[in-house]
Amino acid sequence: MKCSLFLMLAACLFSTANLWITPANADDLLPADTPIASVINHYVNQRMAALRVQPTPPAEDTLLLRRTMLDLVGRPPTLVEAQAYAADENPHKRDELISRLIGSPGFVRHQADEMDQFLMLSSGGTVRTYLVKALEENRPWDQMFRDLLLGETDDVEQKGAIEFVKRRVSDLDKLTTEVSSIFLGVNVSCAQCHNHPFVDDWTQDHFYGMKSFFGRTFDNGGFVGERDYGLVSYKTTEGESREAKLLFITGVELEQPPVKEMSDKDRKAEKELLDKLKKDKEAPPAPEFSLRAKLVETALATGQNELFAKAIVNNLWARFYGRGLVDPVDQMHAENPPSHPELLDWLARDFINNGYNLQRLIDGLVRSEAYARSSRLPEGDYPPATAFAVGSVRPLRPEAYAAVLKMAATSPDFFPAEMSVEDRENRAEGIVSRSRTIARSFEQPAPGFQVSVDEALLMSNGDRIRSELLSTSSEALLGKLNATPDRAEAINLLFWNVCSRPPEAGEVEAIQAFLSSRQDDLPQAYSHVVWALLTSSECRFNY
Amino acid sequence: MSRTPRSKFCGSPEHAVSRRSFLGAAAGAAALTTADMTVLDSLTQPAMADELKRQGKHVILLWLAGGASQLETWDPKPGRPTGGPYRAIPTSTPGVHISELMPKMAQRLQNTAIIRSLNTGNGSHGDAARIMHLGRRDEASIKYPDLGAVVARELGQADAKSPDYVAFYTATEGRGNAYGQAGFLGARYLPMFLTKGNTPENLSALEGLSDIDHKERAALRELLSSRFVQGRSGESLGSHNEAYARVRGLMSSETLFDVSQESDAMRDKYGRTLFGEQMLIARRLVEAGTPFVKVSRAWWDSHGQNFETHLELVSELDHVMACLLDDLDDRGLLQDTLVVTLSEFGRTPTINGSLGRDHFAKAWSASLSGCGVNGGSVYGETDEDGQTVKDGEIGAGDLFATIYEALGINHRKDYYVGSRPLPLTNPGTAPVKEVLA
Repeated sequence: MKCSLFLMLAACLFSTANLWITPANADDLLPADTPIASVINHYVNQRMAALRVQPTPPAEDTLLLRRTMLDLVGRPPTLVEAQAYAADENPHKRDELISRLIGSPGFVRHQADEMDQFLMLSSGGTVRTYLVKALEENRPWDQMFRDLLLGETDDVEQKGAIEFVKRRVSDLDKLTTEVSSIFLGVNVSCAQCHNHPFVDDWTQDHFYGMKSFFGRTFDNGGFVGERDYGLVSYKTTEGESREAKLLFITGVELEQPPVKEMSDKDRKAEKELLDKLKKDKEAPPAPEFSLRAKLVETALATGQNELFAKAIVNNLWARFYGRGLVDPVDQMHAENPPSHPELLDWLARDFINNGYNLQRLIDGLVRSEAYARSSRLPEGDYPPATAFAVGSVRPLRPEAYAAVLKMAATSPDFFPAEMSVEDRENRAEGIVSRSRTIARSFEQPAPGFQVSVDEALLMSNGDRIRSELLSTSSEALLGKLNATPDRAEAINLLFWNVCSRPPEAGEVEAIQAFLSSRQDDLPQAYSHVVWALLTSSECRFNY
Repeated sequence: MSRTPRSKFCGSPEHAVSRRSFLGAAAGAAALTTADMTVLDSLTQPAMADELKRQGKHVILLWLAGGASQLETWDPKPGRPTGGPYRAIPTSTPGVHISELMPKMAQRLQNTAIIRSLNTGNGSHGDAARIMHLGRRDEASIKYPDLGAVVARELGQADAKSPDYVAFYTATEGRGNAYGQAGFLGARYLPMFLTKGNTPENLSALEGLSDIDHKERAALRELLSSRFVQGRSGESLGSHNEAYARVRGLMSSETLFDVSQESDAMRDKYGRTLFGEQMLIARRLVEAGTPFVKVSRAWWDSHGQNFETHLELVSELDHVMACLLDDLDDRGLLQDTLVVTLSEFGRTPTINGSLGRDHFAKAWSASLSGCGVNGGSVYGETDEDGQTVKDGEIGAGDLFATIYEALGINHRKDYYVGSRPLPLTNPGTAPVKEVLA
């Protein structure tokens, strides 16, 4: 690899840097050919035993079906899907379900939504079109990293990926911080102004070292360019001016060719060229020596790539398990060790050895016992969240919440039992795509997310909510309930359609009581019941 | 926290009996779940600041969007090449002069402190507006809460019936720079943001849905939802039912936004302009307990025709602000209500070829009134042409520290994001003691 010429361990300068990128001794980890889910079961059980924590039992089939579908394809099951799954006695039904979902069109749609938020949330932009294409062919994560940081605007394969940089190029501090946070799990922004007060790993040298890789990147009329000259300098807290080294976050320093001297004439010529390209709407020429490309090569170099692998493993873990093995996910440093260090090591090694295969990793993550546990603790104290002994309760992303609402408000007759799997999926995709306008009303959850009162007001008093979710047409759930004379049957159907499960006795009793009190106008009573269930926490969360 | 299940099904007479039977079932089922409602996000129940909350302080921020000229308001330079056509007039404080465009405020300076020495270092609308909303630069990975969100958090009641942060911005110019930001405090502290008129969206029940229906439906929702919450825990879970629990209370605050509830005389006093009516609503909100109201007036960006623009806008500001201060004072609210005038920046002393003034963040002014500030005082000084700060230079963080201290909020207080402590204002900032009485 070309970059190895420039890789030089600056051992004396940075021997104190103590990022825990050092892998555990490979011999101490479970064998590489163990299935991912078994590895998770092993290490999570080991830790629960050490903590003397009892896990909750496995979630009921129907609830686990809902959880898995929301996580993999971003929509809940239809009534027929849920009832058929509950009735299926095939012992391998769960494994078969996961394989089928990962191969379905909803998987790419939903993973693109998730990934787009992960990559672009703070920037206001989107790389969704790129992601759909990349995820369709299960493009390896290292390749996606390359596309997102270096993508050529006119390359069909990489089309749109460079939006990741373009959206942040006006603020190189932000670009530096977010590339480090997202791809390396290391948020160095505190070190921008001062050495980190708690974390010895992070000094101003690290922040500006990372910034150096972006220091020559600029925007030229909507195109990302990179110069062949320029150095990042900064003031230390002591007021001393320093020129930043080309320093990767792990403490590896790179040499770079001598910086090109620019005469006034060179600068003038450069400006003229850039102005012309801007006018012609063309991309600036590539630099001879791209520092951004060096960053990508360094992050992916053998021996350095573990941080890159751990960051995405940890992020995906957090997505499916409610919190990271390292949490917060952008604080991977010595003072914030993982809850399950061997597990993270093993998963990262497996991810690298299998070509940064995201699908394989996701597939493994959702097959574990810990993923499948009930989210309800019947009694006793909550075990520490780091034990992963209880299934997590996670707010749905706007797109998934809107999909839940819209699917739930659709008559079950819209998905008859005799329908082919393919037709059903197409029809469901149609409903999900029509739900995206509602999705815009909801906020994207971030760590510490709180549901706003604006959302509750919208759901309570919004005209669109009534017209879209409480319609009484024959294609709507309310239409079906009104056409179902037997109340017990209607209530049963209501819960299966909205919550993907049968109602509990207490729920039947409460709703029967409500309906009885409203005999004079049952259609309206049903609309209240549907509203109450659609707005309940059960619909708002994946649990 | 314990919660009384709200299952007050007010049955109409003809259904009284059957509803009672539903009530019984609902109450029984809900009772089971009460204990589990304790699993709430700690942010919704800030344990601290309770003492402060009892003090009942408020803020009304007059956001002068686009950048008001300090020379035509608080820091006139009559007779200088930069002075423009307007004179300076004496005020109720001997020796202190302000622009002749503010005759009413000149007579009422006893409750107002003027700060003439802001140097905030950023002259682009978007970035500067964010700085003056957050009191600092937005950091790449940390989303800071804005002034209103912090005040709502510190002074608001978790279960308040009136909204705790309301922002008016009906003009379109510059609105995108002034959206509320709750940042790491979470959506609970986002403003009710009014852009279309003087009444918030979704605050009244839809036509055809009676109040009883609305209430009973909400009770049924709570019953079903609390069954779900039982035995479950999640960072965001509590906030969901909390948000719904606030709906009915907030709906009852709708009348606060209705100026027709005020006498004609009072409405005439404020003036029947959008700005005047929003200010009157701000007073109504504060009176009902809302900790933070922002009323925006746009668009002060007078690159051309600066003097015509300011004749109109400053005159209106003078009238409405004076009226607000009088009204607050009459009601005994002024001692607990801080009224702030602020922009993203001021305007250049140098008058450009279009008789305009451009963006200028190096030496400009703001004002603080009420809430125990040192009334009639002037802090800081610019040079004779207003080009630089000669004395008492402060930045956005110092201004925010001063605002927090005036409200009794310790500006060094830390919030935590993960294990990272984030003080309310950046290290190195300090309140201006001279402004605080």
